[in-house]
Amino acid sequence: MNKLLLYLMMLPSGLWKRLGADTEQLRAILHAKLLMDDRKPLSFGANKGLERKRKKKKERKNTSFITVLLSFFMGMIYVFPIIMVEANPVIGLAMFYSIFIVFFTFTLITDFANVLVDTKDKLILFPKPVSDKTIMLSRLLYIFIYIFRLAIPMSLPAWIVFGIIKGWVGVLWFPIPLVFLIFVAVFLVCGFYLLMLRLSKPGKFQDVLNYAQIGFSIVFFATYMLSSRMIDPEALQKLDIQVFSWAKYVPTYWVAASWTWIEPSVEVIEGTRWLSILAVVFPLFSLWATVKYLAPSFVKGLVSSDNVNTEKPTAKKSAKEIKSQNRVYRWANMFNKSDASKAGFIITWLQTNRSRNFRMRVYPTFAYVPVYFFYVILIDRKPFMEVWNNLPNTKNFIILLYMTTFVIMQGVTFITMSEHYKASWVYFSSPLQKPGEVIAGAFKAMWVKYFLPFMIAIGIFVVYVWGPSKIWDVILATINITLFIIAQMYFGNRMLPFSQKEQIKDKAGKTMIRMLLIIVLMGGLGLLHGLTLLMWWLKLIFIVLSAIMMWMFYDSLKNTPWEKLKTVED
Amino acid sequence: MESIITIRSLSKRYGEKAALNNVSLDVYPGQIIGYIGPNGAGKSTTVKILAGIIQDYEGEVTVDGMKLSDNVLAIKSKIGYIPELTELYDLLTAREYLKFVGKLYHLSDDVIESRATSMLDSFGILDSIDNRMDGYSKGMRQKVLITSGLLHNPSIVIMDEPLSGLDANAVIMVKELLQVLKAEGKTIFYCSHMMDVVERVSDRIVLIDKGEIVADGTIDELRKDSGDSLEKIFSKLTSNEDIALKAGSFASLFKNQEEETGASDE
Repeated sequence: MNKLLLYLMMLPSGLWKRLGADTEQLRAILHAKLLMDDRKPLSFGANKGLERKRKKKKERKNTSFITVLLSFFMGMIYVFPIIMVEANPVIGLAMFYSIFIVFFTFTLITDFANVLVDTKDKLILFPKPVSDKTIMLSRLLYIFIYIFRLAIPMSLPAWIVFGIIKGWVGVLWFPIPLVFLIFVAVFLVCGFYLLMLRLSKPGKFQDVLNYAQIGFSIVFFATYMLSSRMIDPEALQKLDIQVFSWAKYVPTYWVAASWTWIEPSVEVIEGTRWLSILAVVFPLFSLWATVKYLAPSFVKGLVSSDNVNTEKPTAKKSAKEIKSQNRVYRWANMFNKSDASKAGFIITWLQTNRSRNFRMRVYPTFAYVPVYFFYVILIDRKPFMEVWNNLPNTKNFIILLYMTTFVIMQGVTFITMSEHYKASWVYFSSPLQKPGEVIAGAFKAMWVKYFLPFMIAIGIFVVYVWGPSKIWDVILATINITLFIIAQMYFGNRMLPFSQKEQIKDKAGKTMIRMLLIIVLMGGLGLLHGLTLLMWWLKLIFIVLSAIMMWMFYDSLKNTPWEKLKTVED
Repeated sequence: MESIITIRSLSKRYGEKAALNNVSLDVYPGQIIGYIGPNGAGKSTTVKILAGIIQDYEGEVTVDGMKLSDNVLAIKSKIGYIPELTELYDLLTAREYLKFVGKLYHLSDDVIESRATSMLDSFGILDSIDNRMDGYSKGMRQKVLITSGLLHNPSIVIMDEPLSGLDANAVIMVKELLQVLKAEGKTIFYCSHMMDVVERVSDRIVLIDKGEIVADGTIDELRKDSGDSLEKIFSKLTSNEDIALKAGSFASLFKNQEEETGASDE
């Protein structure tokens, strides 16, 4: 596929030459970038299994092809509104365009960072005799390829369905408004990045971007999960376009309204036929504004953020930062007896504060808990207030309490991994008697940081809604989850913190079996907790037994000897 | 004098390949040993065994009268290891990292703080102690690495290419440091490719090639027969080919091409 893309990009090489680029260099740069794309890890989060399978081969290949395939499958999700085209093409298309532009813009925002904030260009290309024009053009063409690779497969399923419904006219017409929409999307992305650059302090750009990405992934997830619960598909099929009169203020509606040029008899919102002119005017205005204003100041902003990254840091720490640092040491001393545990606690606390990869993987799960909760309680598609008022009569608090496991479970899985896993030599050269003590310290850091505050918040909510008697359930759930997490670490993750490569090999499915056992254990604990709702004294017995088991597992984890430790193989 | 490190018939294999083949060596207290050899000769393997990182080897290693295989922890606490790769948890600041390492050696907070600050001050990077190390230059990281290796006041110091990335002043400082450590009676195991430095700082030079010791003695003893520099002795003992000849043929590659293009231009 890369060869084809490269061939297409280099077709107008006469034009590139006239624009002042060296076509031989241009081809070489694009070729190298496309090759690197193929070897990058996948950016979609959902392919861990796939990633692991591919890991068996020595090198990564065809990442871009797989990305295309995944975009295609994602595109299938957006086909849904197109089916409504039968009833009213304008509303159907407007919904499709809205979903498309939202997902497309978000994907660009989350992914573009890697494409645009690539400082390697500066290190590798700038010392070589390559002209500015060639570098600029190579970046532009690369971005074009990137967008092309994303947009085509994303819209392909809808294109096909639309073609089936509307025939050849539909097939030919479909991509034209999409191109206009892409202009709008690029405008939005550039605008967003510029805003981020403005709002963030120099050097913090990456961090702000990171939080924005986390925010988006939560919005994604919440919309995806909850929209299917909130919208009644039957009501949609009988839709009356006049109900959607607010839609006339939305740009995607203007673009959709342009279908009236092909099929003038289509019903639109009253008095909005003229809006279809905006379908052309608005995207072209976006394109013009992007090229004229946004892109140049954007490039300027990026360059300065690059510079900040390479500058020697001299700034002193603020009093606030030092205070929070001292708090970590105070807590490390409070929660741990041995020095090794303290070391494990400190490094885990500090690293998890700062590792972008860790934050990206763990922080969104905080939002998953309420989202999943509402997903579960809204399962009957009843009005929200009715469900809310009926909540104290249900046993849903058990689900809510046990859902707090998500965050810390995700957390303990990733504290063993780091880009700088080789830095773990320091554990091996130091006189560490039992590595289990470091692991125990790491566990405590995770518990204090990612479980306790969350459980307190959820606990207060549960007591507020279901009454003070549920405090015993909060305690039991806390003990059970702690037991569960320690068991998970004991059976699956007995590794030193930040000592493993980002992806580790599964050995003969052993880990899988262990993890299954843990899930069975968790399910068992939840069921038992459910049983205690029948008899109050059962709860007390359960609390005591669980606490004893928790202590036994913790003790075994803490005493893990070197021989039982999983280390990276090479 | 009794040796502080005794290595007897040390062998280590990686699959088919022998990294170390029957190496025996005695190191005496207060000595600086220059441990040199080409890439893949077995230097890092020896050093990693001594530092207790590699534990599946054949043969016997004794440090300060204790068998390494039976007393790994006690020996590790006597050794300060400064590895070749500047691998650090660089999301931490230097202060945080040194506190973390200090805890692994059971040092008290006060001791860590006072040693870390004065060592980094000597290296001239105290100003950056509270900055994250991902913004550090290679030399600054190397300085933190050296500090982390010496923090617990070890009696044996193992340095694997300690000068890489350091600026000229820091190189001078490390060389001075080696002499100060030696004067304090510490034993230093110094691995490097930089022959001129090894020649100047070492009391004794051990040359290893293909997992075996091929030369062992003071620089004067090694020179005795040929009078050559350490660089020449090194290349004679470790390379079967004439390196000067190879460099010549490398350079002539451009010469031939220039002649060809010159001819075609005409």
